[in-house]
Amino acid sequence: MSNNTLEPSVAVDPGDEYEPALGLDRATKACVRACEAEAAAKTASDYQHIVWSYGILWALFAVYGVSLWRRANRQRVEMMDLERRLKETP
Amino acid sequence: MRSGSLARQAWILARNDLRQESRDLELVLTAGFFSLVVLVMFGLSFSALDRHAQVLAIPGVLWLAVAFVGALTLTRIFDREREADTLRALLVAPVERQAIYLGKAAVTLLVLVGCNAILVPGLVFLFPAAAPMAERPLETLALVVLGCLAYTSVGTLFAAGLASSSGKNVLLSVILYPLTTPALLLAVVATRALLEGHPLFLTYLGQLAAIDVVTLALSVWLFESVLVGADASARRRSAAGPRR
Amino acid sequence: MARLLPTVFLIVAALVFPYSVDRIFLHTPIEREMGTAQKIFYFHVPLAWLMMAFAVTSGIAAVVQLRRASVRAEATSLAAAELVLLTGLGVLITGPIWGHATWGHAWTWDARQVTTGLLWLVFAAYVLVRRYGAAGSDRLAAALAIFGAVDVPIIYYAVRIWNTTHPGNRVVATLPAEMWNSLWPALIALTLVSVALLLVRLRQELTDIALDEAWILFNERDGHEQQHS
Repeated sequence: MSNNTLEPSVAVDPGDEYEPALGLDRATKACVRACEAEAAAKTASDYQHIVWSYGILWALFAVYGVSLWRRANRQRVEMMDLERRLKETP
Repeated sequence: MRSGSLARQAWILARNDLRQESRDLELVLTAGFFSLVVLVMFGLSFSALDRHAQVLAIPGVLWLAVAFVGALTLTRIFDREREADTLRALLVAPVERQAIYLGKAAVTLLVLVGCNAILVPGLVFLFPAAAPMAERPLETLALVVLGCLAYTSVGTLFAAGLASSSGKNVLLSVILYPLTTPALLLAVVATRALLEGHPLFLTYLGQLAAIDVVTLALSVWLFESVLVGADASARRRSAAGPRR
Repeated sequence: MARLLPTVFLIVAALVFPYSVDRIFLHTPIEREMGTAQKIFYFHVPLAWLMMAFAVTSGIAAVVQLRRASVRAEATSLAAAELVLLTGLGVLITGPIWGHATWGHAWTWDARQVTTGLLWLVFAAYVLVRRYGAAGSDRLAAALAIFGAVDVPIIYYAVRIWNTTHPGNRVVATLPAEMWNSLWPALIALTLVSVALLLVRLRQELTDIALDEAWILFNERDGHEQQHS
């Protein structure tokens, strides 16, 4: 039923400036568009998943990095405290 | 004492424990009753399952029950030691450390297999799909012993370790379940194969036996280190305690 | 010199990372069966490898700790265990996201998923015991780490023992060249970052231990002086 060949449906007069638009018939076009829409939806959903996974990975590493940084700060404070006490008691 | 009498030492220690147990039957009764309670709870939860779903559920029920009873048993066995402070006495005695481990593991294994004497018939009674366990008693026995052995070997090691420090019991649960789950998983797979009459059942049993060997060997090797280790880090930790 | 190592690693990783992302998204063809979501693979797989590597490291360090009573090994074991938790979280989160994108199921009780989750739990228990355990439990924790490390080959071969939905062991070995070339930079970037974090954490743990000792000595000396004054 569907006509896939790219032939004009109206006879063309070579001298005429009118050029018919060539393409597929409507049924095939609808079908192709449906497929494309499905593929596009899947790609969009995939990208969403990708963004989430990379985002979460970064968040995890960042949280760990921050916890390390905080521990380093605490240790520095303790070290200074200890040094101070050592200086006080000769 | 030369080893080879390792087995004899283990046997003496186990016999001591069992003798003490036979006086008041505390552990056997509480563990047994607990198995019954767990069985009833699972029965209530899953009574509405159809036959096919039962086959899927029963292995999990059985080995979860074993896990719970095992945790209770181990906690109780080592609590007793801790209360009477006999663990330290044992450590000082001229007894090989591994013998302590093997003795305790033997007692735990005995209690667990004994509780299965309640669990397995109970399951057969509650769920028609568990009938193959009654029809093939030898295979069921082998499965139960191998599975409980895997659980016991890991559990005894860590329960002893926690008991010898002033350990907290909650940590035992935290440690025990993740560590024993691979072995319990194998046991579950094997049980399901038994219930379905799957041809690979003996293979799974073999894999379970292999895990038993590995965990037993590892535990025996590590037992000495885990118990003896209290000194250096203890001094450090307890002296520096409140700062953390 | 060794003190600068983490910084160097992080800088190099910062450079490799944009290159890696560029390769993954712009220069790798879209995989035919799974589509764009397959790109999660390029970070999921290196994280899984790293998790297993850190688990084995922690286990080996635990063995050294038990045999030689080495403080360095003890600290390494703890640091590696924390990295197992970090990379493990990455694996356990990106895996289901990928599964959800591709097959619609996040958690399929697949054998490798389950054993990886168990490995994570074991090392979580390790970290908890190290942190909240009583005085003598460092060696107990070491035993935990060793058992956890033994869990790693079980994970690796789990896919062979049970039939699973997880892509098999041969996937990586049979990757086409372009995908390999995108996998490498991601692996390198992640390894550098993880190792840098490990080194920093290791140094912090050693510092903690040293501070403890210093405080003990200080308090002893202090008490001693107060006795005599």
